[in-house]
Amino acid sequence: MKEKHIMVMGGGIAGMTAARDLAGFGVNVHLIEKSGFMGGYAIGYTCKATTECLQCGACSVEKALKEVTESPNIKLHLSTTVEAVTSENQKFSAKLKKGPFFIDPEKCNNCGVCYEKSPVKGAVLHGYSKNNHPLYAITAEGIQNHRDFFASVCPEGAISIDAEAATETISVDALIVATGFEPFDPNQKPTYRYAEHANVITGLDMERIKRDHGALVRPSDGQVPEKVAFIQCVGSRDERLGHLWCSRVCCPYALRSAQSIKTQSPEMDITIFYMDIQNIGKDFPAFYEACKNDFRFIRSIPVDIFGEENDRLKLRVFDEAEGTAGLETFDLVVLSIGIMPNPENQAISKLLGIKLDDDGFFAHNDSLNQTLTSQNGIFVAGTASGPNSIPGSMAQAGQAAGEVLKYLGVAQ
Amino acid sequence: MTTSENAHEMEKIEIVTDVLIIGGGYTGLKAADSIAGTGYHVILADQKNSDHQARSSLFGLKADFQNQLDELKKAVNGNNNIEFLPDVNINSATGVPGDFTIRLTSNGKDLEKKVGAVVVATDIVSTPLNHIYGLDFSDKIVSLSDFEENLSSADFKEKLCNNKQTVAFLVGFAQNGSPLLMKRILDSVLAISEAGNGATAYVYINDIKVAGNDLERLYKTGRDKGAIYFKLTQLPEISQQSDAPVVSFHDPVVRSDIEVEPDILVLEEAMTPSQINTKLAGILRIDLGPMGFLQTDNVHRFPVNSNREGIYVIGSARDIQDLSEAWTDVENTVIQLKQLLGDGTKEVPKFRAVVDREKCVTCLTCYRCCPHGAIYWDDKAVISPVACQACGICASECPQEAIQITGYTDDELIDQIRNAISDVKNGDPKILAFCCENSALEAGKAAALFHYELPKGLRMIRVPCAGKVDIHYVLSAFIEGADGVMVMACHPGNCKSETGTTFARWRINNAYQMLEETGINKERLEFVTLASNMAPDFAKIAVEMEKRIG
Repeated sequence: MKEKHIMVMGGGIAGMTAARDLAGFGVNVHLIEKSGFMGGYAIGYTCKATTECLQCGACSVEKALKEVTESPNIKLHLSTTVEAVTSENQKFSAKLKKGPFFIDPEKCNNCGVCYEKSPVKGAVLHGYSKNNHPLYAITAEGIQNHRDFFASVCPEGAISIDAEAATETISVDALIVATGFEPFDPNQKPTYRYAEHANVITGLDMERIKRDHGALVRPSDGQVPEKVAFIQCVGSRDERLGHLWCSRVCCPYALRSAQSIKTQSPEMDITIFYMDIQNIGKDFPAFYEACKNDFRFIRSIPVDIFGEENDRLKLRVFDEAEGTAGLETFDLVVLSIGIMPNPENQAISKLLGIKLDDDGFFAHNDSLNQTLTSQNGIFVAGTASGPNSIPGSMAQAGQAAGEVLKYLGVAQ
Repeated sequence: MTTSENAHEMEKIEIVTDVLIIGGGYTGLKAADSIAGTGYHVILADQKNSDHQARSSLFGLKADFQNQLDELKKAVNGNNNIEFLPDVNINSATGVPGDFTIRLTSNGKDLEKKVGAVVVATDIVSTPLNHIYGLDFSDKIVSLSDFEENLSSADFKEKLCNNKQTVAFLVGFAQNGSPLLMKRILDSVLAISEAGNGATAYVYINDIKVAGNDLERLYKTGRDKGAIYFKLTQLPEISQQSDAPVVSFHDPVVRSDIEVEPDILVLEEAMTPSQINTKLAGILRIDLGPMGFLQTDNVHRFPVNSNREGIYVIGSARDIQDLSEAWTDVENTVIQLKQLLGDGTKEVPKFRAVVDREKCVTCLTCYRCCPHGAIYWDDKAVISPVACQACGICASECPQEAIQITGYTDDELIDQIRNAISDVKNGDPKILAFCCENSALEAGKAAALFHYELPKGLRMIRVPCAGKVDIHYVLSAFIEGADGVMVMACHPGNCKSETGTTFARWRINNAYQMLEETGINKERLEFVTLASNMAPDFAKIAVEMEKRIG
């Protein structure tokens, strides 16, 4: 077989899985990631195990990242964007903008001195996984504002403050779009007052808090909350916003997280506000029964969140049996924000000449094969084409890899 | 022979590349088409149908899918690389990946087939649930399948409209349901509204399962076209006056009783795995998962793997799936098959797990405990280099100590234990952690890299699975001077070798007893379950151990 080259756009779980599967067949993969770290949103998720595994799949992301990092057939392009793509004779030529790379990965030993000593928070970013290399990335703004600090801080001399972006053109035989999703911005629902109240957090915030503190604590005081509310379908299944889709992952992440934090803090009182609970795992009836024993379920989505003393939060709670509404106070409210199309989809669709669907995700060309786009040689996987879970995205990425192999005529 | 030096020594073996597919529904046909398209010879075994209620796997899906199915059937029939066996009973399966022997009966004739891999694509069964509702079927009370069949007739639809009939659906009160069941309901509801003005659909439903492709939009379209949904958590009251059912409930919001007398009452159906799965699981020695699907809910199995190499479970054999998800499974299987079977010659590690034939007494403990079905026997135990995952559970369970895992032999591990403990400076509590390489080892390395506080005297010993940790290693660690020993496994349900965590836990419980007898404080030994992304927890557990024994 002649050497084949593939470009995978997006280093999240779908992109990494597709890259890994293709690399297993000797295909050379360029894996393009715009941020400084491979792994996408999914690498930031915490393990939801109680005393047993709840099948959230977060550890699969860790594993996939390790595999793409170790594969000799995958070239990782961090901090890289695709500027232009042209195609001719079944070959794609992609112009990449790379960097600037302020940290030299060859010299960096991930000691963390730049991160720990950084004069401002946010100038140096920290990867979530030990398989992120470099484990740190310095923002352009950080370099600009603190040139002297960064010029001298690294004991290995791995930081170059004058690094500049470069371009590289690669030629590939096919490409996979795995550019992922955008979490719903809760500020679009102003009555939840997300920006105003520290203790109104999103599911992603919850992950960060659990990661940093090893437990779910209130951002306002670092205390373990006694009474927690989860509000489902924030941004999903919302006619007023024109979001006519279920994000599929929020019932699973809310209930798995609730189980996991309840295991850590058995006294915690947890209420789930919902429209319809979606299935979670293969043994859903048993899982759901356990949840009903452990949490209070209220089938009504609160509209307003009001602040109270002590940074507590008041919700209007509807009593379905009585048909009446009352106010109830919580210590922490978790908004189960949904999966939205990546705002860059429009630009990517223009760049590649592939169609979007009515919701702004990438359209599939065949209702039964969700990895085919409107262009030959361009495939799509994961949440770029609609809401999906970690295992669902991985399966779709495997399918996209399979389609690419067929397209390239790679036999056994 | 089994030391690390020759761990990478490979040998070439010849394997069979024919593939057996069990199940001739949509998924099986699609798999046959795709796998044969890759160049492998396919045997497509359509089972003897023990599920008398089974219907087409398409369940009233639209006509264009029926056309696709017909085309697929044509393609499969016309493909010389596909051997179709009707009316099949699978009788036995022996051997290992690349060399399975399947004995089966087709049309009453006994056959023996040699295959390299097996793909299980059993269909889903849709069963009426009227018994749970306490209702008998009649002209007015019908099952979803029957209603779908009726809907395919133009006469029936015309009657619905002209007579301005009302159709009520009951969904989610006898079971939780699924997006696939929901799609069938939503399609039927839409068909009623699209039949023309006049007919009305009422849907009494518990949770609306919209976590599937375009279902929320389909739900809205149905409502826009006049369907009325009553979302209830309790089953509405159903009374039967003469022949006609009446459905009523109290609506707390409008504070009144709502009563509907539908012309047709449609009852939901349970969509469950094929009953043949249980038998197949036994014959193929693969794990039966929740609800009778052929895959445990273990992330290492997703999407299409069983616990045995070379046996794949796809489509509705592993979960309730729609056609596009089944297609996804098929393509993933093709990739796996290509990797497993290649062109018929395969490079395998020569000494992955080695049986000392002098020591082996063919007690078959290893055969029974191997979670991957990788062990068979001639006059002694034999471990298939293709199927073996080198977890080492067999090596630790073998009463004769006749099995060694390359790179993790008993001698090597005892050496490592000794070296690790003597490496700790005097004064620091010596803590030895046996870490599964899939979870705790990763977490431990991350904890160090992220500069979490760790005991100075902590040393990690890499094991391929916690199930490899022999009680002898734990005791040796204490004899060599360890102050604390941790055995760190994956969470139950996440073990790549399914039972490794369980074996490790049993052994540690036994070790506790031994420690008690020898007067060693039990607190010095800990069994822990962790995931690879739990670096902070790893550090916390290690520091707590240090405090406890320090």
